[in-house]
Amino acid sequence: MVNLDNLKKEANRILKEEKVKYIIGYKKSSNGLFTVPAFIKNPEEVEKLTWDPTCVYNLTRFLVDEKRKKAKEKEPDERPVGLIVKGCDSRALVVLLQEKFINRDDVYILGVSCEETGVLDEKKLAKTLKGKKVKNIEFGKNDNFVVTTKDGKTEIPAKEILAERCLECNANFPVISDILFGEKVKRKSDNPFESLEKFESLSKEERWTFWKEQLDKCIRCYACRSVCPMCYCDECVADTINFAVIAETTAEEKAQKIKWVEKSPVTSENFVYHLVRAIHLAGRCIDCGECERACPLDIPLRLLNKKLEKEAKELFGYEAGFDADVPSLVSSFKDEDPEDFIR
Amino acid sequence: MEKILTKKSFPLWVKELVSYKIYAPQKNGDLWNFETIKKPESINLDFPNTVLPPKNIIFPQREVLLEFESSNENKLQVKETLPDDDPTIIFGVRPCDAKALTLTDKVFSGDFKDPYYWKRRNSTVLIGLACNIPPSPNCFCLSVGGSPHSKEGLDILMTDLGDKYFVESLSEKGSTLINLAKPLFQQPKAADKKAVEKTQAEAEKKITRQIKDIKKIPSILKNMFDSPLWDEESLSCLRCGICTYLCPTCHCFDINDEVASSSPVKGKRVRTWDTCQFPDFTMHSSGHNPRPDRASRLRQRIFHKFQYFVERYQNYLCTGCGRCISKCPVGIDIIEVLDKVRDYGS
Amino acid sequence: MAEEFEPKIVAFLCKWCSSAGSDLAGVSRMEYPSNVVPITVMCSGSISPLYIFSAFNRGADGVLVSGCHPGDCHYIKGNFYARRRIALVKKLLDYIGLEPQRFQMSWVSAAEGKKYTQIIKDFVKELKPLGPQTKLRRNL
Ligand code: SF4
Ligand code: SF4
Ligand code: SF4
Ligand code: SF4
Ligand code: FES
Repeated sequence: MVNLDNLKKEANRILKEEKVKYIIGYKKSSNGLFTVPAFIKNPEEVEKLTWDPTCVYNLTRFLVDEKRKKAKEKEPDERPVGLIVKGCDSRALVVLLQEKFINRDDVYILGVSCEETGVLDEKKLAKTLKGKKVKNIEFGKNDNFVVTTKDGKTEIPAKEILAERCLECNANFPVISDILFGEKVKRKSDNPFESLEKFESLSKEERWTFWKEQLDKCIRCYACRSVCPMCYCDECVADTINFAVIAETTAEEKAQKIKWVEKSPVTSENFVYHLVRAIHLAGRCIDCGECERACPLDIPLRLLNKKLEKEAKELFGYEAGFDADVPSLVSSFKDEDPEDFIR
Repeated sequence: MEKILTKKSFPLWVKELVSYKIYAPQKNGDLWNFETIKKPESINLDFPNTVLPPKNIIFPQREVLLEFESSNENKLQVKETLPDDDPTIIFGVRPCDAKALTLTDKVFSGDFKDPYYWKRRNSTVLIGLACNIPPSPNCFCLSVGGSPHSKEGLDILMTDLGDKYFVESLSEKGSTLINLAKPLFQQPKAADKKAVEKTQAEAEKKITRQIKDIKKIPSILKNMFDSPLWDEESLSCLRCGICTYLCPTCHCFDINDEVASSSPVKGKRVRTWDTCQFPDFTMHSSGHNPRPDRASRLRQRIFHKFQYFVERYQNYLCTGCGRCISKCPVGIDIIEVLDKVRDYGS
Repeated sequence: MAEEFEPKIVAFLCKWCSSAGSDLAGVSRMEYPSNVVPITVMCSGSISPLYIFSAFNRGADGVLVSGCHPGDCHYIKGNFYARRRIALVKKLLDYIGLEPQRFQMSWVSAAEGKKYTQIIKDFVKELKPLGPQTKLRRNL
């Protein structure tokens, strides 16, 4: 099991020795229930760091902000950022390294292993507790979560309240780290595409009806895009204004900018946005589940990304986030790639 | 006018209102939202907070303002497209969401009365439901001048009294609806009124979250434009639209031409929601962005709600619904931010 | 009887092979249906999936992507990249419930005017029974 004290000790050390600029980790929110991202700058704050089943956030996402900020600094601090990563988060990091979005020495990786559990699904927990308020939740023994409510402590088997993606995770410890906390035990996951296969077995019209109903709910708040460590483009086809505009850009150039997607949240435009996002994440999405968790309308975005994950694996034998040194899915090919669909 | 309506009679009342377009909270999956109802029996007023406030019924996310088309002589024809003013009823409006509409009313009035907003607003009757139990753990209406049984902005307020509703008409629009089904309503007894008072007092006690000393906030903020606090508090902000799109009081919009054909020119001018939390919200056509980072965007959200709006309209632009807290994907909590603002000032 | 439905096909053709192939069909006066809106691109590898989604968004009933045969790409490898990308787009469109017949890919060389006309003929034939594509079409 992850020893939180050891984690804090290391955090303390690297801050004291000024090895890192700051550490991105998890801390309890002020209402004490769930964790929130923490940005720890000095050793005195290290005490705040925590590790429990509510550490859902993929903190790798914040490297995008760090990079943007650094780009604006005249004399940037070149030290790495300390980053706490779970298995999935570490694979996001690998993709960012693979795409040369960041360099290896931009981060000092503090890996935490989920071992046989993972992080919880807040909604599942609420259902299991039938409205009872949670006071605390921690990792227990035998792959249980220990949940404290006003009636005391209860042990709930992790399986019952784990996030869907954790149940289907096949790399539940960091694939890359400078220091690892917890054991590298591999989960016995039967079928990483179980939730998807149920859906795939529907008929074409049923699938259309499903997606139309789901994507019609979308209010284009772009939380799915904003929370995703892979959605780091400075300009997105879904935005109305082109960030590549500079003072020298002429009026003609601006006028000629293609508006691919209208802002109106209607079926056709929502589909373009989500199809583009899905395809841009092919071979890059590492199933951290953050997009789906962030969506205020409960749109099952994982189902979209998972499909391409499965196709990448089945058609091209490609899995995202394991090796920063191989070329990415769409910047490579093999002679034997399938072409039976081509006329 | 004060009346009693049994829960059994409630659907019968709704049946009498079928000439109206009726919205009520409906459950889809685990979520509740306001949707038009198909059957009077389908209204279930036992619901937690809806994800979206009813603001999108009055101020829809997409509104066509006008249509344009060039005729044969190459002259551009422009046609204003006002929304229908079908009489509409919204059931189950929470007091905070109703109050929020009184705030957007101010914005869409003034020198220019927004015809699109007002056409919908004037044709809509708001039937509120008092919150006997706070619908969200992050409710804090009491701190911002509201209450779980506030009547502000409502035409009718209903209070659940177990097997019946205490129905209070607050406007002519409201009375009209009650009069459409007069025989269904009874005179309240003294005991009913007592019960309402008791329920309301208890409801207030159940609200656990609050912004202390909120009155001090607007003046403290005045000196905080350059505070490092905004950097600190916005470190995890993702720049998504959740806090503002789900807010019942946020009302910013963008206007775009949706061009169906460029020759001959044909299309629509539409207004869609926009938010100060998107980086391109303030992007100039020169490429300069006066609010270039998370900090300046968070500051804008707080200043607009607790400084600028207060100066201009003597009201907080927040009614304490708690949505922005509950739904922020990274746990940014407006109450906490304001607590720090207050601490900063003292 | 109502007029027969004539599907509109947007065809992204690479300049060096497929577009030349379609030109050959034209100059040789081969007959083929006039349902195609050809868009010449430099290489099949330069076709962004966004172009494809956008074509459906603007009302295409079918979309064709066509490039040089493997090994013949003017840019050596463009069509191999395209093959991968298009395979994924095809799976994705099928997955969300678009009729799979609506999106096709082909290899057509500059000499294959005949093949080009045949592909278009077959495509039109397959699209006709499906009727207009309304799922992804913009209707604002
Ligand atoms: S698409 Fe979703 S699941 Fe995939 S990496 Fe991005 S946030 Fe994570
Ligand atoms: S988070 Fe949900 S509602 Fe927001 S843009 Fe993404 S899918 Fe749409
Ligand atoms: S909801 Fe949260 S993350 Fe999103 S813009 Fe608002 S404060 Fe930032
Ligand atoms: S600012 Fe937050 S709490 Fe206040 S009204 Fe808006 S969403 Fe509700
Ligand atoms: S040039 Fe024809 S496919 Fe590349």
